[in-house]
Amino acid sequence: MSPVLLLNLAWQISTLALIALGLAIVFGKLRIMNMAHGEFVMIGAYAPVITSMLGLPGWLQLPVCLITVAFVAFVLERTIVRHLYGRMFDSLLATWGIAILLREIVELIFGRSYQSVSPPLSGTINVIGVDYPAYRIAVIIGIFLGFIGFSWWNTRSKMATRIKAMVGNPELAEAIGLNTARLSAGAFVFGCCTAGLAGLILAPTVRIEPMMGLDYLIRSFFALVVGGLGSLEGLGIGVSIIAGTQTFLGAVSSQTYGYLAVLTLSILFLWLKPNGIHSSSR
Amino acid sequence: MLKKTINLLSSTAFVIALGAISASAETKIGVLVPDSGPGGLFGPSTRNSAALAAKQINASGGINGEQIELLFADVGVPPAEAAQAALRLWKGQGAEAFVGMHDSAVREALIGRFNGQVPYVYTPVYEGNSCADGLYITGETPSQQLEPVIPFLAEKEGVSKWYLIGHDYNWPRDTNALAKGYIDDSGGEVVGEEYVPLTVSEFDSSLQRIKESGADAVLITLVGGGSVGFNISFAGFGLDEQAIRLGTLIEENTLAGIGADNANRLYSSSGYFSSIQTDAAASFATDYYTAFGSDAPALNGLGQSAYEGLILLAALANKAGSLDVAAMDAAAEGTTWSTPRGDNTMIGRHMAQTIYLADGSSGAFSVVASFDSVPSSEACSN
Repeated sequence: MSPVLLLNLAWQISTLALIALGLAIVFGKLRIMNMAHGEFVMIGAYAPVITSMLGLPGWLQLPVCLITVAFVAFVLERTIVRHLYGRMFDSLLATWGIAILLREIVELIFGRSYQSVSPPLSGTINVIGVDYPAYRIAVIIGIFLGFIGFSWWNTRSKMATRIKAMVGNPELAEAIGLNTARLSAGAFVFGCCTAGLAGLILAPTVRIEPMMGLDYLIRSFFALVVGGLGSLEGLGIGVSIIAGTQTFLGAVSSQTYGYLAVLTLSILFLWLKPNGIHSSSR
Repeated sequence: MLKKTINLLSSTAFVIALGAISASAETKIGVLVPDSGPGGLFGPSTRNSAALAAKQINASGGINGEQIELLFADVGVPPAEAAQAALRLWKGQGAEAFVGMHDSAVREALIGRFNGQVPYVYTPVYEGNSCADGLYITGETPSQQLEPVIPFLAEKEGVSKWYLIGHDYNWPRDTNALAKGYIDDSGGEVVGEEYVPLTVSEFDSSLQRIKESGADAVLITLVGGGSVGFNISFAGFGLDEQAIRLGTLIEENTLAGIGADNANRLYSSSGYFSSIQTDAAASFATDYYTAFGSDAPALNGLGQSAYEGLILLAALANKAGSLDVAAMDAAAEGTTWSTPRGDNTMIGRHMAQTIYLADGSSGAFSVVASFDSVPSSEACSN
């Protein structure tokens, strides 16, 4: 396997893992199929557009991204999503509507035209013998470290345990004094913020326009279908299979066969193994 | 008394004005634009350009003495629905001619529906090979965009190894089939050819193949968002040092999405850029932004093509003396007229026109060469 292919695999898998993380949290923890997930990626990608429109310095991109996404997610959670916990099909329809609404709002503000964002790091650097975009290398390393930190937090922190308790038995969790409303809102906003962060990070490398979110929703969904819900391991397996298949077949054969294989895999899993490879124990 | 007189005078003037409007019957023209779907990005600039054309046609006497009125319909929908929308304008609201800026699938559906009974001008860049009674085409075809441009770039940039990449449908494939001949004639060779599905949004493996092929020029027939994503990654991998890029559908919006950082040595070939430096083009752009505001949707070759279409329709109908298809078909060949694009001639129902080659390196197009009166290799017999 050529070094470039290895790096491409690392790039595709790490970015898809970051994109799918929020969908996995919201679906796995709250049983909300968030069809507006891609739109949070899109809003995150517009953060650098907002800062440059307002003439703000570049370091404000991250706070602007997180504040915007968190605000939108919080408002939607309080007004719509909180009524739909545990109602998977209703949540799917409602969040699809939210997705359309968010696209239209962004279109009203910024128009339909494409936006472009400069990467903070430009040029290529030599890694394992090949020239590879420096920004991509930084992102791969950043996401890898981020996931190590997140999985450590997920196994150790009280917050993660409380969320598990809330999901496992909401009545009992409330009885022992957990504020489930706050926990749910927190988990939803956190999941959406990871999507926004993914959008911000990807912004210099992709097209930016109001409709861009759909791509990310579909690929994240495929990854969750294959990997299984409710665990970071499942997420890792799912994104590796989906991103890996597309990248590997795209390189050795053609993009058409890569995409065909991803679709076939997803259909087979939905049909034969709907819980995915590594689903949670419940 | 004075007040009364003024009232009387003004109401008389009002009646006279009303009479003037109702006295001149209006010819209704159907304008088919994509308001929704993937082409929706071009809806607003297309509508504006059409409205500007109508204003100018009416100012110079209309079509055969009658003022024109535009009726718009959204054709950014599946072909069958688009044909229904056109039919409503035609039979329901009395449109006597059509100008369309939409994809080829919709065009084929419309040709079937119109069946040569109503004049129809098709305006966007397209793959060629469409002939029908009453169909007139202003859009650039691949031969026009490439025949003069490939030898020019081969000489100017000293490139000879071409890699062809496009989305997997007929426009890119037909374009590349012709491109191979022009590349051959210019002494170059094709080192790779690749088609990607419209659903694919990452191009890493294609970029690796381009790198390994040793190409020094890439002909891009990807469309819309795919083209934006490809070009961003292309520059990200530093391939802009290795190869020039030439696109035949990279207009102002696509270039804005690619961004100045990623547009080094990116060329585009088209019949129109908003930065064309001729008097006619400059005054068109001034009229456009005066009429629709300085923050109006950016001018681009696709949107502007609706203007071309209406001006051609007026020229043909005035020459033929009516909007009758048989009369217009008979009059079409050899019609000449001028627009912001330059001096045009109707040859084989296609528009021989000036082709511009622009460099997008700075993030905005600057025209580096223009080729006058380039005919299309497409020709329909009359």
